[in-house]
Amino acid sequence: MNFLAASIESLGAKVVGWFTVGYAMFAFLAKASLLLLDRTTWNRATFDVVVKQVYFTAVQILPVFLGYALVISWLIITIILSTARDFGLTAFASEMTIRVLVLELLPFLTALFVALRSGSAINTEVALMQVNNELDALAHCKVPPMQFEFLPRLIGGVVSVVILAGLAGLLALLLGYLSIYGVSTAGFEPYTQTIAKIFDFKIMAGLIVKCALFGLAVTLIPVTAGLETPKKLFMVPVSVLRGMMRVFFAIVTIEVVSLALKYI
Amino acid sequence: MNKLHFKVGLFAAASLLLAGAFVVYLLHARGFFEETFHLQLAASSADGVAPGVPVVFSGIEIGRVTTLGLNEEGGIIIHATFFKRNAKWLKENSTFTLDKPIVGGAKIRVDSPDLDAPALPDDATVLLLTSDISKELPALVERVKAVLDNVEHLTRKDGEITATLANLQTVTGRMTGEYGMLEGILGSPEKARAVTDSLDGIRALVGRLDSLALKVDGMAVKTDQWLFAPAGVAEQTHEALAQIRLMLNDAQSSLEKADAMMTNAVAISADVKEGTQDIATLRAEVDDAVSKANALVNKINKMWPFASEPEVKLP
Repeated sequence: MNFLAASIESLGAKVVGWFTVGYAMFAFLAKASLLLLDRTTWNRATFDVVVKQVYFTAVQILPVFLGYALVISWLIITIILSTARDFGLTAFASEMTIRVLVLELLPFLTALFVALRSGSAINTEVALMQVNNELDALAHCKVPPMQFEFLPRLIGGVVSVVILAGLAGLLALLLGYLSIYGVSTAGFEPYTQTIAKIFDFKIMAGLIVKCALFGLAVTLIPVTAGLETPKKLFMVPVSVLRGMMRVFFAIVTIEVVSLALKYI
Repeated sequence: MNKLHFKVGLFAAASLLLAGAFVVYLLHARGFFEETFHLQLAASSADGVAPGVPVVFSGIEIGRVTTLGLNEEGGIIIHATFFKRNAKWLKENSTFTLDKPIVGGAKIRVDSPDLDAPALPDDATVLLLTSDISKELPALVERVKAVLDNVEHLTRKDGEITATLANLQTVTGRMTGEYGMLEGILGSPEKARAVTDSLDGIRALVGRLDSLALKVDGMAVKTDQWLFAPAGVAEQTHEALAQIRLMLNDAQSSLEKADAMMTNAVAISADVKEGTQDIATLRAEVDDAVSKANALVNKINKMWPFASEPEVKLP
């Protein structure tokens, strides 16, 4: 009896914990969105931090990221093409390539890439600031941390993931064309038709929204996870661990929901 | 100059440029900058047709289905859109067929047999034919099954074809023997030899009967001379003359029989199987004819002295 009560209690604690985390996240998001609408937010200083954020999240990793996207795309395209040839379904190979790579795999991998590199860094940074009371100090100096520390990170994350996923997608389209038709303009017309068939307005909007949500997830979740760190130094790694797990679950959830909306 | 800002600016500008180019390309791909050409396809069934189904000409997509619905009479009207530049492949004698392959999506196939024919006007209504392989398949399978059943029945172990082939084998085996076809038909070399022997005999017999007929002819002439000679035996031998006439009639019938025998011999060579059964009767008849001819000659000899011995030899 005791055991049952204990397990129910632990379950309840977990549920309350999830709700607290979820509430904190959405409250933070609402605050950030409201601030975004405020005219005073749009000043030179905030913009500078956004630019810095984009630089660290996207520009700095661009060569590595594009190389990685190139290898992954080339592998997947080769696998799809040879499989399609084996089954006599070459007519569907280009559509399959575009759907798998540009719409699903590359945005997902981009989000993971940015989460591992920038998300974990943001989480650690915010957790350390919290533990060292830097945030309170900033607030004292009339530098609201929301405006100058958190909001630029969110914007930078969203912009970076959307652009990186877009670049990787364009690279995959180009690579797909070269793999299927070789260096010639002969396949331009059919390839264009395939692209036209896939990318209607709904799919394009869905793709951009999905990438934006990925970008939001890989910055918003680490920031909130860092903010809820207890003021003890040894809790910083725990905070990063929790934040990264949440980021991973959020990315998978977004991907699954987007797939379900598209194909079910 | 701030190096960081420059890099981010470059990145943003390049990304925006690429995004803009892609959007323009996408708009071009979706025909945003092109005039469109519309067609209405009347069909009996819209099974498998949905918005987005491609219209292909020689395997190249030239348009696609936009909407489909029912008209006032309950018929199905499918609207298809083409780029203006592709409209030139649509002629007044073009046929539109709905293809539903077993693997892959449905498509509407356009066949324009004569590209010099006048072009279809915009918004024209044409008929959509259906070639649904998957519907014909069950019937086809049933028929093939029936055919296979028949073939199986024919080729079973104790079936007619096996027996026929076995028979054919024995017949062709015999045909390789000394008497060839004849042996193949009759069944054994002995029978075949009997037939060829009989044929040889008949040939000799026919030769002799020929000379006999000549002799009889000569006799008749001589008798004639003798009867109506000035010496005048005629008066004395009125009875003998009547007898001779009878004998001559007898000889004529014998010759007719020989003639029938020859016909029979021809029939024998044509239908040898029956011929083998007739050989005995044929021989008997030949014997009979020859003995009658012998008797005739003897009788004539009795009444008239001939130099040579009247005798017919049988083979």
